[in-house]
Amino acid sequence: MSSEAGSDGSKPDRSGTEWGDRARAGLARLVEASAFERALISLAALVLSIAIGALVILAAGRTATCETAATTYFGYGFCYDPFRVYDRLFLGALGNPINPLFDPLHGNFAAPFTEGWTPFNDRLAYTLTETTVLVLTGLSVAVAFKAGIFNIGTQGQMVIGGLASTLVMLALVPVFTGLATVALLPIGIVVGAVFGGLYGAIPGALKAYADANEVITTIMLNFVASSVALYLVREQFKDPDSFSTKTNDLPAGVEFPQLLYAQNTAFSVVALLFVLALVAATYYLLRHTSFGYDLRTSGLQAAAAEYGGVNSARTIVASMTISGALAGIGGTVYVLMYYGYFQPPVPSYGFDGITVAILAGNNPVGVVPAAFLFGVLKSGAISIQTDPNVTIPIQLVGVLRGLIILFVAMPEFFRLVGKRFTDAGRRSREGGSRVADAVRSDGGVAGGETDE
Amino acid sequence: MSEATADAGSGESTLGNTDGRLLIAGGVVGAFALLFVVGTLFPDSTVGTLSYLLLQPGPWSSMLTLAVPITLAAVGGIFAEKSGVINIGLEGLLIISAFTAIFAADTTGSLWVGFGAAILASVLLALVFAVVCIEFRADQIIAGLAIWLIALGFAPFAARIVYGSPNTVSLTNSVPAVRHAGIPVVSPVFQTLSTTNALGPAQALFRASPSVYLMFGVVALGWYLLNRTNFGMWVRASGENPKALDTSGVNVHRVRYAAVLLSGVFAGMGGAALSYNIGQFTGSGQTMVNGKGFIAIVAYLFGNYNPVGAMLSTFLFTLLEAIQNPLQTAGIGVPSDLIGTLPYIGVIVVLALVGRTRIPEAAGDHYETGEDR
Repeated sequence: MSSEAGSDGSKPDRSGTEWGDRARAGLARLVEASAFERALISLAALVLSIAIGALVILAAGRTATCETAATTYFGYGFCYDPFRVYDRLFLGALGNPINPLFDPLHGNFAAPFTEGWTPFNDRLAYTLTETTVLVLTGLSVAVAFKAGIFNIGTQGQMVIGGLASTLVMLALVPVFTGLATVALLPIGIVVGAVFGGLYGAIPGALKAYADANEVITTIMLNFVASSVALYLVREQFKDPDSFSTKTNDLPAGVEFPQLLYAQNTAFSVVALLFVLALVAATYYLLRHTSFGYDLRTSGLQAAAAEYGGVNSARTIVASMTISGALAGIGGTVYVLMYYGYFQPPVPSYGFDGITVAILAGNNPVGVVPAAFLFGVLKSGAISIQTDPNVTIPIQLVGVLRGLIILFVAMPEFFRLVGKRFTDAGRRSREGGSRVADAVRSDGGVAGGETDE
Repeated sequence: MSEATADAGSGESTLGNTDGRLLIAGGVVGAFALLFVVGTLFPDSTVGTLSYLLLQPGPWSSMLTLAVPITLAAVGGIFAEKSGVINIGLEGLLIISAFTAIFAADTTGSLWVGFGAAILASVLLALVFAVVCIEFRADQIIAGLAIWLIALGFAPFAARIVYGSPNTVSLTNSVPAVRHAGIPVVSPVFQTLSTTNALGPAQALFRASPSVYLMFGVVALGWYLLNRTNFGMWVRASGENPKALDTSGVNVHRVRYAAVLLSGVFAGMGGAALSYNIGQFTGSGQTMVNGKGFIAIVAYLFGNYNPVGAMLSTFLFTLLEAIQNPLQTAGIGVPSDLIGTLPYIGVIVVLALVGRTRIPEAAGDHYETGEDR
């Protein structure tokens, strides 16, 4: 039954590879879970990752050599203390708001907040700078995932967008002199969006019209983007006055205005507000426009959407273009906030964006807290580095990132655990998953072996 | 009824794929022929230099060496995907085994122990992936990405702890080429053949390190296992029609576990071969694996799940990489950054031309045995 819908529609109608279809079925399953359940699963995944991360820290602490043990458990000394590592990681990223003397468990009721702590400290500024870029890359991935497309290429789209906007802005500097310099900023953002969007449209078109699997093409395009960027900056547009491989500096006026936070920090509240406005716009686009409806139904039920008159090829290309455009803006914002010039390689915001989007359940609004969490992890990694008492390598954050994705990918695990605790909960959830299965088999997913 | 329509659909797409493959294979052969003809006619031109280079054993030697990790991972990936589990985490398996090989060999001083430890590490990570996918019904693509990201974070993390930098130390001992290994009879014969100029590029076949012959062995073994044994039949059935396999009394989950763990074994060999070849693990950026696991996936898709086909398509990609250095030395002026993108662009072009491969019917789907409900 189900395969008929796919086969008589012949090739061009089938949106993408069979891999894609199966992936979409998986995504559909993820989306079926209610927003509350999703949030719960994300939270549980986070807690579990932190717990396993603690074991990794302890194990690493046994392997490493140090003069004095940082902590002792069960008679064994460990070089790294997970509590201290996580303390630095999470509280360090906020600028140490908690007074170390505040310890209600041991009867010390000092003031809970560190004296002189304000939310405008430099550490938190860095956290929020990271968050600003991560919201954009997370949003980029989430839009594509919503349409059922695994855009792993946000990193490459970000590189291309950031480089293109930098080069165009630099080229236009002689034209926009004096007060007109201000105009370069919006131009740069538009150029970043256009180039990122075009670079995203390539795998979109390959998927829509040549059935090329987007997971592979986007990963390959990431490698191409970083090599091309390195070549262009090194051989064609290198700053002649600098030893490092970077472009010329943008003029002083081309930046997001800085308010509230110190001038020496990279963070700009204006940039964050601009990004949050993009979040709202994306939410509106997905929820309240007919295009957004097409996009979401294609992601949930490609065949059903097709039957309902959605041009799936065009939807794929369009959603990949939007996804790429958001990534391109991310690259531009990164360049403008941090350095004011482009220097390869660009840190892995694109890959972190995947984690952010998966953690957020591909919900544009959920991307904001998820991005903040990763902003905390990245900023906390630096506060670990600067603390002489904690010597753990910051690559730990990469391990945590992988663990979080792994656990978010297996909601079934948490449901099984949940079942053990609540019998009533089991019945209602199982009913729910049955319905989801039924919907899935009607949707023309090839190979209905999982259904009974 | 649905069987019939599904078959018709797959027959059609298989035909389309064969066309795409033949087109590329024919294109490659044609390009080589043209290259040599033009090269012979105009020996001083760029094409002449290129065809001269391709008649030397050097590029072919590096092509074989570069192909080892990709082919081994690809053969592993074939087993996993044929059984119904798309293992997109091959990249992660290569990373973890490349690091473990150097770490264990450096600690124990034995290359053999390092080789075994690399396989063990890769199998353990594959086991995590298998449990998550088979037991907890995780989405295979996302879980595969997680495996990649975990290894991408963990290997440099461990290297930092042990060696103080994302890169390990260089091993003092290395795997000798077979012709230098001092094996009675074999080594002298290989030594003679590897310097017989009459053989032309084929000399490369006798200059290789043992890992290249391991690759040939694994490809042959993989093909035999998959097509000529009961286990291979179960693997294929588990991916195409798990219900039938279940009905005939074979445990589908067990077959899938075996297939995914086997992908861990082969990828582990590949990772060890990769880092042994350099003698060091480099963990900065995308690590030394640098996308080889993903190229492996493309290689087996393009090779239509045939280990031999996967190896040949790997050669296509690695020859593009192998020709880079000689071209640079010969002064043919294309910047190395740009030539470096050729294999990746090649992958994209191949995917675009071949398009959809007929993947196993039930790949990506979770299979629930009857008793559980």
